[in-house]
Amino acid sequence: MNTEQDLLDRYAKGTLSAQETAALEERMKQDPAFREQVEKHLSLINALRFYGERSRLLKTLDDAHQEIETPVKVVPLARPVGWKRYWMTAVAASVALISILGTLFMTRSLDTKQTAIYKELRRNVEQIKKSQKLMMEDMAEVKEKPKPSPEAYAGTGFLISSNGYVATSYHVIKESDSVIIENARFGRLKATIIHNDPANDVSILKIEQKLDDLAQPLPYTLSMTEANLAEDVYTLGYPREDIVFGEGSVSALTGFKQNPNAYQVSVPVNPGNSGGPLLNAKGDLVGVISGIETGTMGAAFAIKSTVLMDVIGQVTVDSVALPLTLPKQNTMKNSTRVQQVKRWKDFVFMVRVYKN
Amino acid sequence: MAYYFDELIVSEIRKKNEGVLRELYKTHYAMIVNLVCTNSGTEQEAKDIYQEAVLAFYERAQQANFILTCKIKTYLYAVCRRLWLKQLQAKKRFQGTLEETESFPGADEEALNAEEKEKQFADMKTALEGLGEPCRSIIEDFYIHDLSMETIREKFGYTNADNAKNQKYKCLQRLKKLFFDAYKDH
Repeated sequence: MNTEQDLLDRYAKGTLSAQETAALEERMKQDPAFREQVEKHLSLINALRFYGERSRLLKTLDDAHQEIETPVKVVPLARPVGWKRYWMTAVAASVALISILGTLFMTRSLDTKQTAIYKELRRNVEQIKKSQKLMMEDMAEVKEKPKPSPEAYAGTGFLISSNGYVATSYHVIKESDSVIIENARFGRLKATIIHNDPANDVSILKIEQKLDDLAQPLPYTLSMTEANLAEDVYTLGYPREDIVFGEGSVSALTGFKQNPNAYQVSVPVNPGNSGGPLLNAKGDLVGVISGIETGTMGAAFAIKSTVLMDVIGQVTVDSVALPLTLPKQNTMKNSTRVQQVKRWKDFVFMVRVYKN
Repeated sequence: MAYYFDELIVSEIRKKNEGVLRELYKTHYAMIVNLVCTNSGTEQEAKDIYQEAVLAFYERAQQANFILTCKIKTYLYAVCRRLWLKQLQAKKRFQGTLEETESFPGADEEALNAEEKEKQFADMKTALEGLGEPCRSIIEDFYIHDLSMETIREKFGYTNADNAKNQKYKCLQRLKKLFFDAYKDH
């Protein structure tokens, strides 16, 4: 056993004589099992050598890194004395002032010049109400009673679980004091935010009261695979007080500035559509509408359902007490789109956000 | 196209001049820290992918058929960018932009290669750690540090060369199993 081992080691190190090498190679030709053994040995030794070499190099790099991190010695400047000091302070202050004003001016002018920017699609209700109120006052001098906390923003959300979990966009419900969701079938329901993921722009809400007429599982599933380019998709949302349908297709498999967690879709969307479901031909959820690119026609973005699934995974870890049971079966895949929408609209909500 | 200064670096690296490797490392580190830290990463993460990329370049340069097709800076930037994008994608933490200011054809392939090497390195590291002592030292001394069997026998206090060889053989068999089992899993 040892002699064979020696032979292999010496072969790996290249110290066999020509005669021995020839004999070994001949034997490898004859005996496939032996050949495999030799090859395995060689690849292991190569991996070992690679490991050794790389460990050594890593150490070199770490040493170099140490040198980078060594703080540079700061040589203190000789302090100026007397009036010179004040003079210099005054000069420094005016330079700072000029540069601050200059930057302010520049950035403001840049802001207006920028054409392609990402725009989140929550509806600013407060603004509409305010202008409406002003109009009313103008016309009839009627003063509305001031509400304690006016509705500030509105977006869309949808059920992801029959026990009352709702997904929406994070930017819709951020800065909120309370959230009310509403649709034709369930009316107004109070919801609490149980999980926020600002990075992925996804939030999970939980309806506070128990929904008795939701004992059966949801008729759609959340797609675990990514959608295909050019796939037909549609969305339901609340850009107005009524539910609105929009359709189109997946135009790119990445979002704004190549964000790999989103799709670009050619679905008409407006402020208020944020958080709405993006559905495929079967009626399965493939994305969550999140924004548009201004300055580009028909470029809307939706966070991928695979990302949503990931976020949901974090929620179940966070709160074991409230199991989030995902729907497992799609029972509407053979229906026409009209029928699909008829069933889906019961599970899409307007999300009303209140803040003080 | 010729990049005289870069080609000088490559030729020194091919001579395994580690001083040049260190200087190269130090030259572009700030660029990658900036890339990663402005794109929701930490300095530690920047350091890890940068080292991966530098080593990939070092190994690539050792190959006989290696030709420099772009500036080394471009190579390192493009490979790090790919690696970082992948990590972000895996972590689902992509927030902003990762602009492609410099790139060269084959950056994806290089990144893939770097990742594969990294995996092989990690697998071997785990396998060796699983091996325990004195096996690990015996294997490293013989196959990596190229010590003779006689030196190893003395170092580990075996009475004769055959015992030492037997021990080394057993260790190697175990390592073979540990390493290839892990390798198969990928």
